[in-house]
Amino acid sequence: MIPLMQAEFFKLRKRMMTWVVALILVGLIVLLYSVLWSVSGRVTTFGSEHQFTGEQLRRALFLSGSVPFSLEIVGTFGVLLAVVLAAGAVGSEYSWGTVRLVATASSGRLRTMGAKLIVVFGLVAAGTVLAIATALIYSSVITFTSGGSDFDFVTGAFIRDQFEALGRTLFVLVPYIGLAFGAAVAGRSTLAGAGAGIGVAFMEPLVGGLMRLGDEPWKTIPNYFINANAQVILLQNALPDALPRFGPGEHELTSRAANSPGVAAIVLVAYAAVFLALAFYLYRRRDITAD
Amino acid sequence: MTSDGLAPGTEILRAEGLTKRYGKITAVIDLDLHLLTGEVFSFLGPNGSGKSTTVGMMLGLVRPTRGRVSAFGSDMALHPWPALRRIGAVIETPAFYPYLSGYDNLRALAMMLGDIPPSRIDRMLETVGLQDRARDAYKHYSLGMKQRLGIASTLLRDPDLVILDEPTNGLDPAGTREVRELIPRLAQEGRSVFLCSHLLHEVQAVSDRVAIIRQGRMVAEGHVDDLLGRGQFLRLKAADDQALLAALGRIPWVSRIEHLDGFVRAAVPPERAAELNRVLATQEVFLSELSPWAAELESVFLELTGEGAGL
Repeated sequence: MIPLMQAEFFKLRKRMMTWVVALILVGLIVLLYSVLWSVSGRVTTFGSEHQFTGEQLRRALFLSGSVPFSLEIVGTFGVLLAVVLAAGAVGSEYSWGTVRLVATASSGRLRTMGAKLIVVFGLVAAGTVLAIATALIYSSVITFTSGGSDFDFVTGAFIRDQFEALGRTLFVLVPYIGLAFGAAVAGRSTLAGAGAGIGVAFMEPLVGGLMRLGDEPWKTIPNYFINANAQVILLQNALPDALPRFGPGEHELTSRAANSPGVAAIVLVAYAAVFLALAFYLYRRRDITAD
Repeated sequence: MTSDGLAPGTEILRAEGLTKRYGKITAVIDLDLHLLTGEVFSFLGPNGSGKSTTVGMMLGLVRPTRGRVSAFGSDMALHPWPALRRIGAVIETPAFYPYLSGYDNLRALAMMLGDIPPSRIDRMLETVGLQDRARDAYKHYSLGMKQRLGIASTLLRDPDLVILDEPTNGLDPAGTREVRELIPRLAQEGRSVFLCSHLLHEVQAVSDRVAIIRQGRMVAEGHVDDLLGRGQFLRLKAADDQALLAALGRIPWVSRIEHLDGFVRAAVPPERAAELNRVLATQEVFLSELSPWAAELESVFLELTGEGAGL
């Protein structure tokens, strides 16, 4: 399988889409840091549920908060980029007709799909590390220009927390990658994979919100959606209070009677397993033809 | 000899009772064929006759509804990968990654195959005359260049069986001649070639055996000479063709007498051609032409498939 992974990495590394996705992620981090840094110098207080001062926001942008904040961005907006990457890696083989080339050159269809999955996940992980690195660099600038060069927070427990947060963030991306893979294979196109992944990411909170307005069992069903459980997991990442969460906060999740982190993890694993099983099964069983 | 030392004439691929249905449509019906080492086998049929489906089943890309294909000892529906390592194929139009250069496309393919040295990529690009454009993106290639890259990709793995589907499509006359010269050369190197082509006179020139498929069924299969009736028929012309036909009908060792295209065709043992001329002269039938019947594959194809135009 190593040769297949090398080939897959080579193809994605040479592809413009991969670099554009990485650039968008870096741009997003830079943009959000720039906006928040700018806002921190202009407001005295902000926030409706809790009141924070501009100074508190600026201190939240210091190095100690850079890893969880970049992971919050990856866990929310990075999902869309991961979906595009995964759908493109699979779906383009159909639109270019190279699916036959790959099928006759590889040492097995399941291995081919496995190699794609590993490489895409590896690139998503690399993108996440790139996002963290970007946040660390920008955060360093803010930290040192705002007189916050105090590194007492760097302890063994802190470092362990950052790695756990990274693991949790990558974990919540897996069902979306699986969905993009499954839909791209089922629809034999990038559009099907990207459309399904982005559609679910966008529509789920809307549909879930509407369903929660109803009675049982409708209001409970959204607790088993992907996004709802991903937010439960991401909430475990210790984000400084003054920084914005792009998903529902702890208070909102409690009011929804959301799943516990353990149940949420099981739900996400189940989704990932179903989507990936569909992708592998269809790719293994279906005829590979020109259309 | 092939890479694992198969002697010329050894069977490397066999399809038995191959049938493929897509819903109510049956694309291929009960097809049998076999391929031998070192032979050029041409597979002909009109558009939609089931050629590509058959090739797909041969490569394990399409699962047969019934029947089986085995190649190099592998069942192509169940475990095709050991055999695929020994088969190079371009099916219909070549398909590669448009954003990669020709060189990088072969490099990606070499990585998938696992044990192809980079020097072989350069050699294959040189073989097909693409070395000067190797660094250009595939999307900027002409159809002829894409075909050349397709041929290079089939040869990259040093295959024992080469499957070429319309390999001269889009090539200029010089390129077409190169491919025509390449095919027998591949066979001389001990490889088998499975060729699908519209250019029947070229198929006729390079093939050892030919199979013709129509509406999913094999309608003819055999050595080119047998299919064309080479060495079996004489072409005869006389001033009075009716008298000639009548006289031939009275000779017991002359058979299958037909009036075709302004000539009379008759099955006559070639060694008795002079005797035939003498016998006809004694019956006051004087020949203005007596020659071996040289049928064209195209006319045989059209006769068997009932096609007036387009393969």
